Amino acid sequence: MKIDSGDTAWVLASAALVMLMTPALGFFYGGLVRRKNVLSTIMHSFFILCLISVQWVLWGYSLAFGPDKFHLIGGLEWIGLNNVGFTPNADYAPTIPHQAYMVFQMMFAVITPALISGAFAERQRFKAFVLFSLLWATFVYDPIAHWVWGAGGWLHNLGALDFAGGTVVHISSGVSALVAALVLGRRLGFGKEKVEPHDATMTILGACLLWFGWFGFNAGSAVTAGTLATSAFVVTNTATAMAALTWMTVSWWHKRQPSVLGAAAGAVAGLVAITPASGYVNVMGAIVIGFGAGIVCYAAIQLRERIHVDDALDVWAVHGIGGTWGALATGLFATVAINSSAANGLFYGNPKQVLIQLAAIGAAWGWAAVGTFVILKVVNIFVPLRVQEEEELLGLDISQHGEPAYAL
Amino acid sequence: MDATTVIAIISCAIVLVGWLVLPHSATTVKPVVVSEEERAPVSVSA
Repeated sequence: MKIDSGDTAWVLASAALVMLMTPALGFFYGGLVRRKNVLSTIMHSFFILCLISVQWVLWGYSLAFGPDKFHLIGGLEWIGLNNVGFTPNADYAPTIPHQAYMVFQMMFAVITPALISGAFAERQRFKAFVLFSLLWATFVYDPIAHWVWGAGGWLHNLGALDFAGGTVVHISSGVSALVAALVLGRRLGFGKEKVEPHDATMTILGACLLWFGWFGFNAGSAVTAGTLATSAFVVTNTATAMAALTWMTVSWWHKRQPSVLGAAAGAVAGLVAITPASGYVNVMGAIVIGFGAGIVCYAAIQLRERIHVDDALDVWAVHGIGGTWGALATGLFATVAINSSAANGLFYGNPKQVLIQLAAIGAAWGWAAVGTFVILKVVNIFVPLRVQEEEELLGLDISQHGEPAYAL
Repeated sequence: MDATTVIAIISCAIVLVGWLVLPHSATTVKPVVVSEEERAPVSVSA
């Protein structure tokens, strides 16, 4: 196999783009919390960038992408990047060094547990968060990544389509966020006092950086620098814009004002929804996916508020429901005219693809929910998941890290 | 024109029509009464 310098350059640049998404997520979340919790919220993302970077090279990549075991998990043959060198791997990316593919995938493994942190913001003990993240990445993310993307994974063999992580990244993190919010319970004063974002501008900046980084997430998943990457880039931008426009319109109708934070949340919902479909749908499909994301994710937030679940930063509504809609929509709008190595969806004459997508969605929901619940209960045996009441009232920046965010 | 394109056009139309019928402003703003005292120029020395 011959290494293509253009493909390699694009995948490495994409890895850097995806890396930027995790601190961007920290800013997106950081602006939405109260000023006494902003540092702790940003720290969740920054810390996970460090933690999973090490976990991934030690054993994460091997479990997710290593030689298949029973179609469920990768073997331990690639622990410590043993056998993961510069020779391309034909199963994953035949034109780039194997380590380039590994580091690109690392950034996906990094951002996924960071997404969950929005659910338990403002109340989780940092030490519990550390243990939870390490266990979750190992026992929830790595197996699901193997099922969907690993050579020999059972959902991969079934024909499930997930171009850049709608199932692997967004459903897994969104569903886990819902479970985490239920297990940890509500913040003090939830529903009684209004919790306002402390810096909406920080959140908008975070959303813009996420949008920027997402081009690496989706277009980089082509692992070649050619037509497929171009198509993924275009549909990513289109669906994101359409979702932001739709969310803003729906919130304008519902709350009588075009919310700025709503437009930013809508853009993220669109990014999430187009993720699994980005290598399979055309630009018209992207418009429909963005439109649907703006509606279903907004509706999911209304439902979450009605049932009084304190998923603090709406990870379930945006990532869990947005990812589910995107995975389902892939089964509706996928076309081999965009990606000849994939399959058509329902609207192009292949209704079976919808059933395959539903199987993948159900498997990811089930494993993420059960796995997260068990991990949280195990962690709680050793470290209390929540901070004490006085610590929560004081704020996590001081109580967990001993640093205020602002000296104003 | 395939089904996906038709649905996409309908989606865009719904959003565009929505803008025409939605409120012009979030809240009604009362006109601000400025007193004569506030109108007086303020000298600022460097």
